[in-house]
Amino acid sequence: MTLNRRSFLKRAGAAGLYPALAPVAGFSQHATMGTTDYRALVCVFLFGGLDNHDLILPSDSAGYDQLVSARRSLLQLYGDRRARSALLELSPENGADFAARRFALPPEMPSVQALFNGGRLAVLGNVGPLIEVVDRRAFLSDAARLPPKLFSHNDQQSIWQSNSPEGATLGWGGLFTDLAAAGVASASRPFTAMTTAGNTTFLTGVATTPFAVGAGGASTIDYLDGLDMTDPLAPILRAHFRQSFGARPDLLERDVAGLMGRAFDANARYNGIYAQAPMLSTEFPLTGLGSQLRTVAEAIGLRDALGTARQVFFVGMSGFDTHSNQADALPALLAEIDDGLAAFSAAMQELGTDRQVTLFTASDFGRGLAANGDGTDHGWGGHQLVLGGDVLGGRLYGQFPETRFGHDHDAGQGRLIPAVSVDQYAEVLGRWFGLRRSELETVFPNLAGFPSDASLQFLSSSTSGSQARA
Amino acid sequence: MEYLSGQHVRSAFIAIAIAVSPAAQPIIFADGWECPAELSDTFSNAAATGRFLTQASFGPTPDDLATLPGTSSSAWFRSQLDASPSLTLPQVLSFRATLDQEADFVVLLELADHFAFWRNAFTADDQLRQRMAYALSQILVVSDAGGEVLSDIGESMAAWQDVLITHALGNYRDLLSDVTRSPAMGFYLTYMGNQRGDSVTGRLPDENYARELLQLFTIGLVQLNADGTVVRDSSGTPLETYTNADITGLARVFTGLDLDIGQGVDTAPDFTFREMSDAWSRPMQQIADRHSLLPKQFLGQEIPAGTSLNDSIEQALDIIFAHPNVGPFIGRQLIQRLVSSHPEPAYVGRVTAAFDAGSYRLPDGSTVGTGRRGDLAATVAAVLFDIDARTPSPGDGALSGKPREPVLRFTAWGRAFAVRNVRPEYVPMLWNMSEDGQLAQFPYRARSVFNFYRPGYVAPSTESGAAGLTVPEFQLATSTTVPGYANFMRRIVRVEKPEGEIEDLRFTFAAAGLSFDQGVYASSFIPDYAPLLALAGDGNALVDELARRLSAGRVSTPTRQTIVDALAVLDEDENERVIMAIWLFLTSPDFLVQR
Repeated sequence: MTLNRRSFLKRAGAAGLYPALAPVAGFSQHATMGTTDYRALVCVFLFGGLDNHDLILPSDSAGYDQLVSARRSLLQLYGDRRARSALLELSPENGADFAARRFALPPEMPSVQALFNGGRLAVLGNVGPLIEVVDRRAFLSDAARLPPKLFSHNDQQSIWQSNSPEGATLGWGGLFTDLAAAGVASASRPFTAMTTAGNTTFLTGVATTPFAVGAGGASTIDYLDGLDMTDPLAPILRAHFRQSFGARPDLLERDVAGLMGRAFDANARYNGIYAQAPMLSTEFPLTGLGSQLRTVAEAIGLRDALGTARQVFFVGMSGFDTHSNQADALPALLAEIDDGLAAFSAAMQELGTDRQVTLFTASDFGRGLAANGDGTDHGWGGHQLVLGGDVLGGRLYGQFPETRFGHDHDAGQGRLIPAVSVDQYAEVLGRWFGLRRSELETVFPNLAGFPSDASLQFLSSSTSGSQARA
Repeated sequence: MEYLSGQHVRSAFIAIAIAVSPAAQPIIFADGWECPAELSDTFSNAAATGRFLTQASFGPTPDDLATLPGTSSSAWFRSQLDASPSLTLPQVLSFRATLDQEADFVVLLELADHFAFWRNAFTADDQLRQRMAYALSQILVVSDAGGEVLSDIGESMAAWQDVLITHALGNYRDLLSDVTRSPAMGFYLTYMGNQRGDSVTGRLPDENYARELLQLFTIGLVQLNADGTVVRDSSGTPLETYTNADITGLARVFTGLDLDIGQGVDTAPDFTFREMSDAWSRPMQQIADRHSLLPKQFLGQEIPAGTSLNDSIEQALDIIFAHPNVGPFIGRQLIQRLVSSHPEPAYVGRVTAAFDAGSYRLPDGSTVGTGRRGDLAATVAAVLFDIDARTPSPGDGALSGKPREPVLRFTAWGRAFAVRNVRPEYVPMLWNMSEDGQLAQFPYRARSVFNFYRPGYVAPSTESGAAGLTVPEFQLATSTTVPGYANFMRRIVRVEKPEGEIEDLRFTFAAAGLSFDQGVYASSFIPDYAPLLALAGDGNALVDELARRLSAGRVSTPTRQTIVDALAVLDEDENERVIMAIWLFLTSPDFLVQR
């Protein structure tokens, strides 16, 4: 028996880590940013570990044959859905960089194909947690420093989100927000870091906690919410849950009352604004991801009323731990990503925020190239999608190792040793968001070991933005 | 109660304390630390009893409040030291014997360690030991939140709980020995299967446990005075306790430990699930040829080359344990878990003295503790009987008191209403409470080795935060968890069972080969509200009874008025009136802060 071969999402959710207070004194105070300068990052976290080998597939004949040879048993279970003729060809502007190699998406992703070929979406290949550059030789001889607990779900989720080799630091989305929220009014402060997938380390900063919203808005006291407005009990309960009484003599009781009141008011404020929001005409798919992305789009539509010039969102989707039954389970998930991203892109164009919002994916890890029968096992590096009007799309960034075993980024069984660190990925996003390299090196202590790489600049203003701020 | 001015903080408290206790200075005895002489040994009334048991147990029961007033607190403490430990692994194994012996990954068995925790918290007689074990579980953190082995094999976490329960009133040094050999810790901090370095391949020992052992379990990052304050150099910079070289040296110690089965955990496929499960409940084995025989240098000392694994572990723990930080580092956290979020340095200093002396003189003059440094019975006595713990301090949470963590709110409710027939396998609500819409906390399921919250957490945008006070529990308070707790507790108080639950349970029981008893399902985990129903017509009397049971008799005017006002507009249904009153009390700052 193999204990690791199970889906452990029964208690999933973002595994979080609360470390010692990170040093942030070095951060610059960002000037108040007008809403004309609005920018938002949307992290779509794919819990369980998306199979990179089933997201970007080789479609030239030699590459495709390699894939078939490595995964024959698994591909047979897909039937004709992984036939070479069924794959959706990518036409990267930088295709010449890859000589005769061609790449394609699975047939469940026609919208992602259109977004890519239309220049709105980019793919970053073989990104994952790294402390320092590692190759196969160093990995196999244990001669490099490696992130702890590789191939473990909760740890790799944490490391993706918190980027600490100790596995325990504040989330970089939260730290980004700490910086960006310096000029935001306190009533608007909760709305700078919003999650549709529960509490998450990613959005936990020194002064930032994630504000959770769902399809119906923010949290309420359900019983109070269900009362008729004329019920005499309603004002009594409202006063209780707001703790709108005089100051208590006890410090901790005052703080508890304050936390209750601020939570109640932030939730009520969000819900009040949300209730008056115009409906988006873009239709979102009726899926978990579709619903969450609609919630994010609605919040972005309310950005002026919410009073925030910078927002970071966290969206989560589960089910990617495809140790078994992959051919049945994964295509539906890929289709859910496909129509979710398409709707989100359309909504951003409807709102006129297309160039102000960048959506990016992340996942625990990629998966091994080797099939274990009807599924695949935990890997390390994987491929990620980046979507938005400022994305220099239609290009392949990073590295796409051949679909064979034993190349210099094979950690064994075709689990990819990342060629691009999460820090480098986040750096590009952070620069676009308005942060300096020096600030980013504070957020990501290992970033200093990875020089800025011009070939990874997948966002149009990230370079010019840093020049303007230099 | 009357409100004092909002400015009233420490100075007013000190004035009150002095007025009440003119001779508040404790006296040092050669054999330990004396409790303040003027404190009465007798539980003077139900409020004093409730206050003490809120700190020393999972919450006072109606029986405690009826029988303990007028008796000796020292006698209660000693009886708790003598109570036989309620272990969890035997409960798991006897439950296991009732299940289908052939099935792997039986959900009910995976959760049996948590079932045992709830049975102990709600019904065990050795409450002080159980509460201490739970406090220690938040310092020496192993969590099954990551899924995998620790959640799949209930025996692994049951054995881990038992390490803490066994040593909870023993000695911290002995505890560290068993912690180090625990397969749960070995897995959680990745030194299970750890091998000595190899100069040819460049392989180095895993440093994870060495680092957390120092950083979280024993001495912390910075040098401490005996009162827990930080030692600084002339420029004001805190002095660190160790460098990375110390970690590298210490990491050599923890090589060669592996699961006690075959040649270790990697040979697991050769064994049955049951054989594996049993191995996870035994200490790890020592595989001599995987142990580093190089010299191990750390903290200015050296374990010589050629020292065996077992000797290396014991010598390393002795060296670490000898560090003067251990007393204040662990003592302050125990105060935070039981009594106060931000104890005064002098209080920490008195607890350190008891930890170092290994003994403590109780209010009745008897002495507890073996006299050996690290004695946890003496340490917890010093935590609980200290004047800062015992002196009621109305109006000042900064010096005494803490927010109740969600798990302890829940257990306080259950014990206050004598919840009956605790059969967690029939109560799916008890299987996980980690989510935001639940308690946002679940025992032995912290998000990481850094626990549910950090001991040094200072909450942003709060008055305590502005004053620089540490309040760990506030790290769990968000705009989602605050209403989430209120919504969840309403369902708890009402004993609501979700639609379809019984069908799901029948299926789960069948998968485990366990027969489902609908009568047990209907009667499991039911609170006894009968005594309150008699008071349902009298709002003030009901509030008084809730305060007696839940907040050591304290209740503020706004909370009292809110409940009285709410009852005034509710109809005559006694059950609904009582439920509303309990719910409002459990969501009031009066209850949410323990003082």
